[in-house]
Amino acid sequence: MPLMGFVQQIGTGALVTIQVAVLAYLLALLIGTLFALATLKRRLVVNIAWQTYASIFTGVPSLLVAFLFYYAGSGIISSVLSLAGLNVTIDISPFMAAVAALGMVYGAYLADLIRSAIQNVPPGQFEATKVLLIPRPAAWVLVILPQVLRLALPGMTNMWIVVLKDTALISLIGLKEIMAYAKLASGVTKEPFIYYLLASAFFLGMTALTYFVSQRIEQWTRRGYRPVAVKGPAHAL
Amino acid sequence: MNAIAHVSPVVATSADPALPPAISLRKLNKYYGAFHALRDVDFEVANSEIVVLCGPSGSGKSSLIRCINHLEQHDSGTVHVNGMELTRKAADVARVRRQLGMVFQGFNLFPHMTVLANCTFALRLALHMTTPQAEGVAREYLAKVNVLDQAEKFPAELSGGQQQRVAIARALCLQPSVMLFDEPTSALDPESVGSVLRIMEDLAATGITMVCVTHEMGFARRVAHRCVFMEKGEIVEQAPTDQFFRKPTSSRLQRFLKQVL
Amino acid sequence: MHYDFKLAWESMPALLAGTATTFTVLLPVLVLGLLVALPVALARLDSGPKSVAAAGYIAFFRGVPSLVLLYLVYSGLPQLSIVRDTFLWTFFSNAYVCAWVGLTLTHSGYMAEIIRGGLAAVPSGTIEAAAALGLSPRQVLFRLRLPMAARYVLKAYQNELLIMVKSTSAVSAITLVDLTAAANTVFDYTYDPFTPLVTAAAIYWCIINVMRIGFTLADQKLNRHLVRN
Repeated sequence: MPLMGFVQQIGTGALVTIQVAVLAYLLALLIGTLFALATLKRRLVVNIAWQTYASIFTGVPSLLVAFLFYYAGSGIISSVLSLAGLNVTIDISPFMAAVAALGMVYGAYLADLIRSAIQNVPPGQFEATKVLLIPRPAAWVLVILPQVLRLALPGMTNMWIVVLKDTALISLIGLKEIMAYAKLASGVTKEPFIYYLLASAFFLGMTALTYFVSQRIEQWTRRGYRPVAVKGPAHAL
Repeated sequence: MNAIAHVSPVVATSADPALPPAISLRKLNKYYGAFHALRDVDFEVANSEIVVLCGPSGSGKSSLIRCINHLEQHDSGTVHVNGMELTRKAADVARVRRQLGMVFQGFNLFPHMTVLANCTFALRLALHMTTPQAEGVAREYLAKVNVLDQAEKFPAELSGGQQQRVAIARALCLQPSVMLFDEPTSALDPESVGSVLRIMEDLAATGITMVCVTHEMGFARRVAHRCVFMEKGEIVEQAPTDQFFRKPTSSRLQRFLKQVL
Repeated sequence: MHYDFKLAWESMPALLAGTATTFTVLLPVLVLGLLVALPVALARLDSGPKSVAAAGYIAFFRGVPSLVLLYLVYSGLPQLSIVRDTFLWTFFSNAYVCAWVGLTLTHSGYMAEIIRGGLAAVPSGTIEAAAALGLSPRQVLFRLRLPMAARYVLKAYQNELLIMVKSTSAVSAITLVDLTAAANTVFDYTYDPFTPLVTAAAIYWCIINVMRIGFTLADQKLNRHLVRN
């Protein structure tokens, strides 16, 4: 039988996992949206910056990025700040390193997703808002955003699950989240099956919850559209 | 009484010489990269005049009307609408667009909004009407295009012809003095074409200024005061409708008419 | 914080050994994953209990992080007497075997879903046409449906493969010294985290981009019939 003390610890760890994943995902959304908007028009400097960023962060394991941020992050930040004449030392916790690493890696993936969703909104929609004299901010928020959401939502849902699962991997930098406590409990009790299956149940439950919620949101974003019967092959990314 | 009572009826084509022309283009040039889409086009539309633009695809008709409301930016020449010059300044663009209503080939209704919301959207956000006010105006125009019974539906639940009529109502809600139509029936199934053309004919009878890019030569004959034939970015021939169809002078127009009639 | 070229050069043998471990883990997983995924995908396309079981397999192994599966195989299986007290122990006491099994479970879950999607995308008219020509169901599957599906899913397979390359960094958790772990070892000895980790990142970047180029070439060859704009 699982010991309640360990189960409680695993619950605490699960909350940390959710915190890291949510913050990382919000950071990824921010980075992804900014890059998507910046690269909508062809501008050489912005595009070179984007290509470099995307190439690095999609070409390296997120775990390695997290190790780099955790061990070398404070050194990198003080070097950068010293160029600006500042002498500051910032301690990087595993929590910060995990959020930054996952946010920056998946920001690169989300940028592609969001950009192609914006590009798939028919150009006529932009033109209609122009000839109807809709102010630009209102046009983006009330006309373009709902249509971008509809197109990007399935990919964004998948990406959230990938981020959540990757949080487990990032525990290897020393983050005290669900995997760390499951490992601890397994080691102490010599009952690895119980605690790792508990962790599995957490991730499966979160996946199920995600699909439940995303289907509700999808129904909302799809209002006004005819149901589409054909489904494409599902991919991880 | 016409189905659509719009601006105060004016006797057709008898433009008041004191008023500037509704639309005036001078030496207009437009390039897409190396492609020269409009070549030194001079074009004028009087108040309350109904003009049909025709010509083979790629001849520059769509580019021409899209330059009038700045959906395309002209490279040289001038555009005036009701005497106001269209410059690149945002305020000028807005002032000119306020005069113009546009109907697109692909309707461009907002798919996530109901028919009624499509029509009230600009009234609320651009003209700052209250929702009840805006809905009043919208319902009035939806009734005039015979789709009031569909007001609570989403565009995808409507036929193509109904959608295009909603798009016309949406443009009319802002009470423009000039309506621009960019191939309004080209994306429609044959049964729907008639319903949209009837609405456009009703609209023409109200005395509003209209510029229509269309391949519907029957509509042009019945409704247009003047027809314009374009090819390769140039206006090849323009004439009062009757003369345009009966006595085309250029061989290029003669050939075109033989193909489409 | 600066990049120490001398240290990078000196740590190259250790990092390349780690790279070799990464590939030793990766390559069998790619083959095994595909072999397991195919019957699962076919079962999923079937109806009845087989399909439900396949759906459960796919949902479970896609939903659980590969690190959990690695731990389950590495420290969970030895708790079972059927593993510990039989010939199986000779296999599962080896960390490589555990890494292969754990990652294969994840990879096969994703691959089954990809193959299912590809097979479902083959137009039924094509299959009927082949059957009408007298091909057996087996011939239709191996000569027609799978080759066509392979063309459809190339892009999804590329994504999955690149993810697997990066996922191998999890195996350091079960004592294997892969490229990521090798970089950390160099850091432990030299107290310079920046140089070995950036060097390792560069090696990963090269591996990933060589694969991307390979896929682009394969795509051009396999999908010649599609007109691109």
